[in-house]
Amino acid sequence: MESLNKLWLSTGLANFELGQVIMMLVGCGLLYLAIARNFEPLLLLPMGFGAILTNIPVAGFSEAGGFLSYVYHGGIETGIFPLIIFMGVGAMTDFGALIANPKTLLLGAAAQTGIFATLFGAIALNAIPGIEFTLKDASAIAIIGGADGPTAIFLATKLAPELLGAIAVAAYSYMALVPIIQPPIMRALTTLDERKIEMAQLRPVTKIEKVIFPLGVLMMTIFFLPAATPLVGMFCLGNLMRESGVVDRLSSTAQNELINITTILLGLGVGSKLSAEAFLNVETLGILGLGAVAFSIGTASGVLMAKLMNKVSKVPINPLIGAAGVSAVPMAARVANKVGLEANPHNFLLMHAMGPNVAGVLGSAVAAGILLALVG
Amino acid sequence: MNSMEQQFLEAGTLMLAGMVVVFAFLSLLILFITTVLAKLAIKFPDPIAPTTNRSNKNNKKAASGEISPAIVAAISGAVTRYRQQHSQQPSSSQKAKI
Repeated sequence: MESLNKLWLSTGLANFELGQVIMMLVGCGLLYLAIARNFEPLLLLPMGFGAILTNIPVAGFSEAGGFLSYVYHGGIETGIFPLIIFMGVGAMTDFGALIANPKTLLLGAAAQTGIFATLFGAIALNAIPGIEFTLKDASAIAIIGGADGPTAIFLATKLAPELLGAIAVAAYSYMALVPIIQPPIMRALTTLDERKIEMAQLRPVTKIEKVIFPLGVLMMTIFFLPAATPLVGMFCLGNLMRESGVVDRLSSTAQNELINITTILLGLGVGSKLSAEAFLNVETLGILGLGAVAFSIGTASGVLMAKLMNKVSKVPINPLIGAAGVSAVPMAARVANKVGLEANPHNFLLMHAMGPNVAGVLGSAVAAGILLALVG
Repeated sequence: MNSMEQQFLEAGTLMLAGMVVVFAFLSLLILFITTVLAKLAIKFPDPIAPTTNRSNKNNKKAASGEISPAIVAAISGAVTRYRQQHSQQPSSSQKAKI
């Protein structure tokens, strides 16, 4: 009888707590979004599964010595995984469109307004009982507006590790929701005539420009914002491997096998932070709400900046490409292209939108560096 | 409440400093692209892809002032085919573009 009792006590059924069941359902929800709705499946699938694993009673996945605790401490807390992913993203990024039309960097800068404006929102939420965000927490939440997953995870682990789960879920969910969140804002802020604007063809970019560009970006970061060098440095390394053309094997590994392996572990590690005590609170709702605000402000600022540039520039600029200034590569550029095609079926904005899109990646890395330097 | 005001003030300073640095950094990058990279592009243009032996033969005549009859025939053939296609099915080709 005693052994039967012991056996019963070792089952999951005897040890389940309500919070764990709810978090497992949250994990299942993430799996549903990934599998059935195709929302950022590469990250939400391992993240959802990680949430289920970490909430299994008795198994102790996330307790000291558990598999997920090693993954989290070894890869995420140290910042290694987001940086490896950033290197892979650099190896996948073609800066050609940006170099051909460098003015689009201003759009990438304008879209970062979403990040900094959300700081106020996070602080304002402190008025609600049960929410207490410090400036560090607010900065980690605000980076969701940069729409860049690895940057958000990197900054959250440095500034507010206890909020990592909620921040990562919000960041990736909103990135998946780009095609739903952005178009209404883009249409509301532009006229039909503006959306119809056709842009001049981009000039061809030489190989030497593409090779020197990442080195130049790195030099400038070293001189002016060394706090951003972990992110920008790895990004530039990946990009240089791609553009130099002499290490195709390394470039291919960085943008395929390495980024895939890291994505699995990053997803699991972030999922391991989705425990009931860390996730089931009012602060998570606040973070999810602020993420949407940050994203919307970023989109709106990008579009408004593009409108302004169109007014003062001799060369016509379609304001829709401003929305691509919030990173989310290449989804945001595709959305700009799609909304442009709705207004003018002969207007292909994809390549033009890739400029602000990759500028947004640089912009959010720079913004993260500023937050780290000033708040961290 | 006082500490919240203090936090708002800090957030405001952070926003101002952040936006100024982001714009300044990316503007410097624009300067870098338009000056250094543009000059490099002019000084070291991409090498033109080497042509095949067959076209080289044709180019020899072209260089001496004549255009090879083979090239003339190929171009006029292509132009005729293009005109025929467009005079026959203008609407379908437009649809395909859309």
